[in-house]
Amino acid sequence: MIRFALAGNPNCGKTTLFNALTGSTAHVGNWPGVTVDKREGVYKKLSEPAEIVDLPGIYSLSPYTPEEVISRNYILDEKPDCVINIVDATNLERNLYLTTQLMEIDVPLVVALNMMDAVKKSGDRLDAAKLEKALGVPVVEISALKNEGIQELMERAYAASKTPRAGSTVLAGSSIAHVIDDVKIALRGKEVENPLFHAVKLAEGDELEVAAHPDEMKMVGEFKTQHSDDIFGGDFEALVADARYKYISANFSGALVHSQKKERGALSKSDKADRVLTNRWAAIPIFVAILFFVFHLTFGEDLFYLNAIFGFGFDVETGNAYLDAFVAVFFNGAGISTPGAILFNLTDFIMNTCLGGWIADGMAATGAAAWAQGLVNDGIWGGVAGVMSFVPQVLVLFLFLSILEDSGYMARVAFILDRIFRRFGVSGRAFIPMIMGFGCSVPAVVNTRTLADDKERIMTTRVIPFFTCGAKAPILAAICGAIAAEYTGVSADLLVFALYLFGMIMAIVMLLFMRQTSMRGEVPPFIMELPAYHAPQFRSLMIHLWDKLKHYVKKACTIIVASSIVIWFLSHFAWDWSYLEDELMNRSILADIGNFLLWICTPMGFGLQLSEFGWVFVVAAVTGLIAKENVISTFYVLVAAIGAGVAGGVGDDGENGIGAVVTLMQQTGITWQGLIAFCVFNMLTVPCFAAAAVVKGETPKGKFKFTLAFWMLTSYVTSTCIYLMFSWPWTVAIVVVLIAAVIAFFILRNKGIIRFRRKRKELPAAKE
Amino acid sequence: MEPLGIVFTVLAAVLAVGIVVGVIAYRIVQKKRGRGGCDCGCDCCSGGCHACRAARKGDDGR
Repeated sequence: MIRFALAGNPNCGKTTLFNALTGSTAHVGNWPGVTVDKREGVYKKLSEPAEIVDLPGIYSLSPYTPEEVISRNYILDEKPDCVINIVDATNLERNLYLTTQLMEIDVPLVVALNMMDAVKKSGDRLDAAKLEKALGVPVVEISALKNEGIQELMERAYAASKTPRAGSTVLAGSSIAHVIDDVKIALRGKEVENPLFHAVKLAEGDELEVAAHPDEMKMVGEFKTQHSDDIFGGDFEALVADARYKYISANFSGALVHSQKKERGALSKSDKADRVLTNRWAAIPIFVAILFFVFHLTFGEDLFYLNAIFGFGFDVETGNAYLDAFVAVFFNGAGISTPGAILFNLTDFIMNTCLGGWIADGMAATGAAAWAQGLVNDGIWGGVAGVMSFVPQVLVLFLFLSILEDSGYMARVAFILDRIFRRFGVSGRAFIPMIMGFGCSVPAVVNTRTLADDKERIMTTRVIPFFTCGAKAPILAAICGAIAAEYTGVSADLLVFALYLFGMIMAIVMLLFMRQTSMRGEVPPFIMELPAYHAPQFRSLMIHLWDKLKHYVKKACTIIVASSIVIWFLSHFAWDWSYLEDELMNRSILADIGNFLLWICTPMGFGLQLSEFGWVFVVAAVTGLIAKENVISTFYVLVAAIGAGVAGGVGDDGENGIGAVVTLMQQTGITWQGLIAFCVFNMLTVPCFAAAAVVKGETPKGKFKFTLAFWMLTSYVTSTCIYLMFSWPWTVAIVVVLIAAVIAFFILRNKGIIRFRRKRKELPAAKE
Repeated sequence: MEPLGIVFTVLAAVLAVGIVVGVIAYRIVQKKRGRGGCDCGCDCCSGGCHACRAARKGDDGR
């Protein structure tokens, strides 16, 4: 099958084009590093199928970043049949820099001028024919976003792939053209492929080329001794870059004619927005406010706190239980529901009140054994329903975060936070994978490949799980919702928002700690192109949400339901395999396992201080290691038995995740302090097995055990401190003193006042 | 117990065992196919994720 590679600058639209060609749902982010490895698909509209490879975005073919190495190695070693160089037509000069390097490789090349819709909209004119004549390679105008020009591009790429192409350089008229020619001839004599490309790279002093061709590098060295340049001296890399840009400006830039409407130096709409959104003082408060707004619309119960202000909420009672429950989805005692609350209530109504009720009634009508009814209602359906109820809320959160990401705002946040992060030992570049952790830790950890500094990468992979992922969101939603239900004056969305913020703060604190201890070093520079703001593509958003929904449903119908069945079984059978009724659950295998580990959790507030069902929290934390959604499904499965087994029933029999936590609060005596500590423990501890496996794969050999220890210690110590400080406020003073002592120690050590003497190894006595 | 009750009781047990065994078998098959760790549905599962395919040395120059 013929192969085409898509190469171009970050944010030029490669992945958008890739999706349009292959029908893929590859995610299109708005910052560098979203594509961290090549992505492959098939285009089927030519006379033969063509494999399409989407390479990471690069500015040049110099090996300074992992993306550049991936792209360069692919083009040189895998030898695609044609390279399609996507060029952002609104940023011609900068994009053509890479084009001049690709031209030097002996590979068929086609230039795709993307974002032509934006060029036409701005009134500018681009003469593609003139550019094609100047470059000497086919040039096609396209708009990947609007699906225009794609077929013509592919047909021209297909035609180009049938004709071999020899590399050409724009440096023929430069002062180093002579040495490039000589080196090229020498390399050709040794039958080295792509001799022109390697010759130019040798002239630049490319470290990979210097190592691979030492003899030819001597030729360059000798030339350098005779060559003199008033501006660049012996820096041939800068000289080559300057020569390229001069050639681009003189020969290619004339193809773009700017509209006369534009004033010189006039600010674009993006620039005007950035004046506010990246303002030195307002940027962080604006970011926090936007995040809070997102969390309020997702987890809040009282839209814009209207009921808290005007007090108009009430529970509708028509006499028809189903109608009352349906109306309560949109309006109830808490006021008008937020979009997230509406979806949660609606899903809960469908899953539990309707489907759950019908299944329970159906099983009872068949006369099946009591244990079989419990297995189906609580074990099978209970586990699934408990998690699925939260899916819409999590999707709403993903939708808002995706809008922020696709609009270009999150790229600005990385830039803003760089100023703060730098003080704590990491660059703003590390923020990009961290914010991806709000969705899922797995792609976030993979994205750390874009961090060139090893120490920064290890630190970032360790703190990514502190950014509460979509799987942990139901834990926070359920527990915060329960606390809000049981305590007046508490707002669930504020609590959830505070916990999310706490996770971010913990990440910064631990980054600082690691920079002072095991990961000391310089902070790498952070340079990033800020893409223009634009409205997110509706189709892209919906595809992204659909992917997430499919993933959740698949996970709920596989690992979650299997875990729920196992949990139900272990909680309803004793060690001698005898079946236990709900009220005897405390004699079950699961209860024994939970009680065995209960003492460990005592300092965190969910251990021995709880009553007979306290082991449920321990078991939930353990099952959360398989998948974090299991925490809520565990509550759901076990609370059904607790509710049934307690004489006189309980206030809420756990009809949903929030109700399950309320029941646990009433039956175990766990305080809100213990619940918050439980939340914090699950937020900071070892992530799910999948995420842990990815971290292990991305961590250098031998370091993963330290990462595991890091997670366990951080979560245990932090949640213990949280429980102690909230339960006994005077302990705040002790914690503050301890933290101050640690900070003082690091400051004194950094100033050299405190030093550690290394034990000298004694040399063996000299033999006479 | 009524015959219908016995049938549904047995079905419930078979369903539960089937789900657990099926999920375990599915995970084993996925792992053998090199997609053993994740199924997170993220885009990296298209090939760029260590949890979803065996790590390939040299792809990223490391």
